[in-house]
Amino acid sequence: MSGVLKHFHAISFFVFVAAIVTSTSLNQKLRRLARAHFEDRSRRRGLLVAFEGPDGSGKTTQRKLFKTWLKSDAYDVVTTKWNSSPLIKPLIKSRKSIHVLSPIEFSLLHAADYRHRVERVVLPALWEGKLVIADRFLFTGLARDVARGLDFDWVLKLYQPLLWPDLVFYFSVSPGTSSQRIAATRTPSFYEAGQDVTAIEEPAASYERFITRVIREYESLALIFRFITVDAEQSIGDQHREIRRLFREGEERPWSDWNLDAVVEWLAMRGGARE
Amino acid sequence: MTGAGVGLVSLDGVNAAALKEAARGITASHRRLSPGVSLWGASGIFDELAVAESDAGVPSARTLVLLYAADLSFRLRWEIQPALDEGRLVVAVPYVTTAIAFGQAAGLEAPWLSALFEFAPTPAEVHAIETAPAHHVTDRKGFVEFAWQRLEARAGEVTRLEFMDRTRRHLRAATRRASGRDTNRPPRLPRRSSRPLR
Repeated sequence: MSGVLKHFHAISFFVFVAAIVTSTSLNQKLRRLARAHFEDRSRRRGLLVAFEGPDGSGKTTQRKLFKTWLKSDAYDVVTTKWNSSPLIKPLIKSRKSIHVLSPIEFSLLHAADYRHRVERVVLPALWEGKLVIADRFLFTGLARDVARGLDFDWVLKLYQPLLWPDLVFYFSVSPGTSSQRIAATRTPSFYEAGQDVTAIEEPAASYERFITRVIREYESLALIFRFITVDAEQSIGDQHREIRRLFREGEERPWSDWNLDAVVEWLAMRGGARE
Repeated sequence: MTGAGVGLVSLDGVNAAALKEAARGITASHRRLSPGVSLWGASGIFDELAVAESDAGVPSARTLVLLYAADLSFRLRWEIQPALDEGRLVVAVPYVTTAIAFGQAAGLEAPWLSALFEFAPTPAEVHAIETAPAHHVTDRKGFVEFAWQRLEARAGEVTRLEFMDRTRRHLRAATRRASGRDTNRPPRLPRRSSRPLR
């Protein structure tokens, strides 16, 4: 090897190592910044509260009551709903309307919608110390996609880096109650009824079959991830009082380091250590 | 190409014109296999993204890779797999390797990227087209160029050419790895076979 070439290799190696060192030290700096920000006890930290459950479980009603109560308690509240990113939602809507989504495409597009909202809505609000209420969160993707026959581990990876809510309220209803409540108000849509995977032509019958599987997945998730289960067959008032009580018990939880990767990636994306 | 070659050929790179030229070369020399070409963006996802309202927000690299995977799933279902089932040769322009290289260049973790694309069958052959990125704006129609335009506002001090170089380095490494692996491995479709739906 010529001297020049040796020299060139040495410089390349140095640049390579320098790049790794720089990115590692930036990563460590951002990790320290994120921890210090979220563990600062001198101010109210951002909280993420997710409302999960099958259709017809009454979680939207409870979410609205909860938000009104929080506002009366001087919380700065931001709401994010499933499948609502202004960038991705139109892509999903147009494909849903012509029934062309496979389970894998359905799953990937919802994960993209989720990621875009996490980066644009959820993390900025948490950083500013706001309380974010998520009307459905990543567990909706997990329950529905696994009910569609996809592998749990693969679907969970789509949502990485993971952002765990501080509290997850799971509104538990039986498949029969969910089906009855939906049937009383509307005909379930093609994907809501799981007709893409059940091959049942009648939407209500397909919904009942599909929601049974979704609820089974939700109940597994509730155990694994320690959701707070709310009996959604109780009266609206009783549920709301229980949610208030459980929120008061849970709001002082310390910030979880599990969320560090998601926060660091977002900080790096918005240009690093801007306080 | 090597071998008898009925199957899937992955053509990866950052220069869309060079990729298409290479695809034409492969199809021209394998006419007896009724070759077809599957291009990125066939699902229309990126056309819609290109005309999204500016206040809808800029996608991150991770979001773009998820969208690329959704588009690839569409191509596999409607273009690639049906042609393979008919015994035809399919040239995927680009396939998985380009998206992984782009993701790595943007700072995403290689294991996450590999796991994301587990649903895609392993191609019989992987070719990286080394041509540098296009100079003329009108020729910049590849996935990496498209994605770079979306990321540019956030990319800090990295220039377009630096980003393309970084992508090409990852592409070379990924192609070397792909060439050395067992190309007969069946795809790991993300599906639970033990729990029938009906």
